[in-house]
Amino acid sequence: MRKTTKRIFILALAALLVISLAACGNRQSGAADARKIVYYAYNSEPILDWDPSVEFSNGIIVMHNIYETLLRYLPDEDAFEYVLATGYTQSADGLVWEFDIREGVKFHDGTVMNAEAVKFSFDRTIDMDEGAAFIWDSVEDIEVVGEYKLRITLDYAAPLDLVVASGYAAFVMSPTAVTSNDDDWLSSGNVAGTGPYTVRSSIHGEEVVLEAFKDYWGGWDGNRTELAIIRKVPETASRRQLIESGEATFILQVTPEDHAALRGADGITVREETSYQNLLLFFNNQKAPLDDPEVRRALSYAFPYSDVINHIMAGEATQGRGIIPHGLWGHGSDIYQYQYDLDKAKEMLAAAGHPDGGFTLTATYTAGDEPQRRSLELFASELAKLGVTLEIRGMPWDSQWEAAKTSPDRAQDIFVMYWWPDYASPFSWLLNLFYTEDDTLFNMSYFSDPRVDDLIDEGNVLSGVDRNAGAAAFIEAQKIIMDAAAVIPMYDQHYVRIYRDNFKGYKDNPSYPSVVFFYETYIE
Amino acid sequence: MGRFLLKRLFFGAIVLFGVITITFLLTRVIPSDPAARWVGPRATRQQIAQARIELGLDRPVYVQYTRYVSDLLRGDLGRSLRSRQPITDELVGFLPATLELVLLSTFFAVFAGIPLGVLSAKSKDKPVDHICRFFSVGAVSLPTFWVGMFLQLLFYGGLGWLPLGSRVSFETAIFYNIPNITGFIVFDSLITGNFYIAADALKHIILPGITLALYPIGLVARMTRSALLEILGEDYIASARSYAVPEAKVLWLYALKNSLGPTSTVLTLSVGYTLVNTFLVEAIFNWPGIGMYISSAVVTMDYPAIMGVTIFSTCAYVVLNLIADIIVALDPRVRV
Repeated sequence: MRKTTKRIFILALAALLVISLAACGNRQSGAADARKIVYYAYNSEPILDWDPSVEFSNGIIVMHNIYETLLRYLPDEDAFEYVLATGYTQSADGLVWEFDIREGVKFHDGTVMNAEAVKFSFDRTIDMDEGAAFIWDSVEDIEVVGEYKLRITLDYAAPLDLVVASGYAAFVMSPTAVTSNDDDWLSSGNVAGTGPYTVRSSIHGEEVVLEAFKDYWGGWDGNRTELAIIRKVPETASRRQLIESGEATFILQVTPEDHAALRGADGITVREETSYQNLLLFFNNQKAPLDDPEVRRALSYAFPYSDVINHIMAGEATQGRGIIPHGLWGHGSDIYQYQYDLDKAKEMLAAAGHPDGGFTLTATYTAGDEPQRRSLELFASELAKLGVTLEIRGMPWDSQWEAAKTSPDRAQDIFVMYWWPDYASPFSWLLNLFYTEDDTLFNMSYFSDPRVDDLIDEGNVLSGVDRNAGAAAFIEAQKIIMDAAAVIPMYDQHYVRIYRDNFKGYKDNPSYPSVVFFYETYIE
Repeated sequence: MGRFLLKRLFFGAIVLFGVITITFLLTRVIPSDPAARWVGPRATRQQIAQARIELGLDRPVYVQYTRYVSDLLRGDLGRSLRSRQPITDELVGFLPATLELVLLSTFFAVFAGIPLGVLSAKSKDKPVDHICRFFSVGAVSLPTFWVGMFLQLLFYGGLGWLPLGSRVSFETAIFYNIPNITGFIVFDSLITGNFYIAADALKHIILPGITLALYPIGLVARMTRSALLEILGEDYIASARSYAVPEAKVLWLYALKNSLGPTSTVLTLSVGYTLVNTFLVEAIFNWPGIGMYISSAVVTMDYPAIMGVTIFSTCAYVVLNLIADIIVALDPRVRV
């Protein structure tokens, strides 16, 4: 007995000793002021694939601080910021683009960035054909025409300025580093970009610590974040507590209830920003009874738009108008917007031969997504008033998608999913979601209209030459789609960003969702 | 003894084989396209078709199965569909965090559970006994996630004494080189003399450790109490007492030693339970272990990862059961 007690006592003493010795730790050299570190508590893995040619997911929140693109799109002004390019021209037919490449830029490995390096990067991404490589589809040839001059020739006109400003698959990387190492050197966590930060340390699937790249071409004058950590914190309640305590500097949206509480909290800024993400409800356009446009229109009048926005999204959304969300070019303010009107819905349904409803529809959504589930349930209760039964099925995304890819006559009647663009263009929605597909991939309403196909092609080509003309074609296509009521644009989501008041310089850019460009920020 | 062990090992292998087969078949039945998962969210049809060939998914299921098993025998669990890293590497990366927690909670279970049980048995039906029993029943029945969140609210939000989650604070993660020898941060930093990191890691492991330990503590306390009570009624205890052997010696040495058989069986099995329960605790405390790993794997249908963790858990269970059997067999009173 005594021996055991003694041992426990000694153990306890040892533990105490450890804690008291804590003060004399061995900090790494070059440590900055701990209060100036930006801590971004992120809800998922900060990055999974470190290869800038491949990553097509959350990883851009890390990538955009390490790698750079030629241009960066600024949606507010519908203009471009010059990053690795200093200027560009396009031919009148929109097929030949010439970029002036910035001089005096060094990669993290010390080599010089020039037109050759840009060509290497783009070619690599295109050849690997993974992730978002499809954005380069229009490119026929990339030539180096001068040490700092790059010419890109296209197969068909396309808005290449938007493509090179894409959030994915448009990064420039060091040819020396990439070719002198193994094939999986990049994907296993090494970096070789031109961006303001390099990786100080990282734990796979867990956290990434970024530190200032001293030779960054932009320089380090003025107040700038020099150290930042992005850490995975999947629990909503934990992220809220971290921002409340001041430990975390920046978090993405939590729940509307939390937002309300945090809005009143001291030292915390809660900002609602427009996003390019919208939630769409796809009717199965090829299966009875929804193959009848009149029925789809009737159901479009039965959707409780404002209830969904006010009660489910707590006002953090706007009812969609057409397919393209507010704030992005190609959004049309004169596209017809269905409103909730149950009497009209009933009338139209009767006119279409379903006076008392009497049919059952199945709807699938991504299991675990509460806004999707709750919106569908509200819709179901409205449909019940029309005598229409809506069966709601939550499925893992893969299963939901697999089921939808079978033939339309056996697939679900209603499919709910979000969409956001790869680069800031309406083309992403229209091409993927409404262009005629022989084998279904993302056209979840199985919509097919040759007029729309033509308008989409035309819009894309035009927008390579004249953005406004392209937008007009895209808007025309949306009018046809909305007239056919192929889809209900439920809402355009707002992104809520929550950060400490002393975090300055942050500006949300919906073209690069959830990315914090740390270089522009600092802690006061 | 040798034959007994061989028999046990044989049955363990059968269980393992069964689990591998069933999980393999289950992952093939679920409607999901691993090839599409492999190439990413907006892949083209050609990319998916290409990936299907690369991953061998175009072959018949039995071919895929034999390939999987033969890879498995070489320790190759395949690659994650999400990160494309080898599952074995990922498991090795995430495992230490989980084991660290499990070991700590087992330590708590022994050094809090057994004394609690002894105390309870010693003062049978007295207030101390009631309090101990109340605690042990509570420890077994309170839901882990509730306890975890409650502790967070109290010690982080309310008192501000202990960190909310993660293995080390973000400052430590940035400014210190965390040594990596065994992967147990507390241990590694102690033996390399990094006391600051050790203290920081210790502060971080307290709450998840306690949360995870509650169940085994309660279980061990209850088991110790009942086993001890039985022993305390034996004749040899009465004679020891009549020889005026100090009560403490009777209780902690003569009685406890003989009651440890069932307790250690329960303890061993509860380690298995803890290993799975840590999944919940890890999610709450943002603890980067196997639990976090599998929860994101399940959500994203990363089936090689799911299978990897399942196989690992099964192995752990089989081994722990074997240990429990050996402990029983070591008791000379039991014939096997």
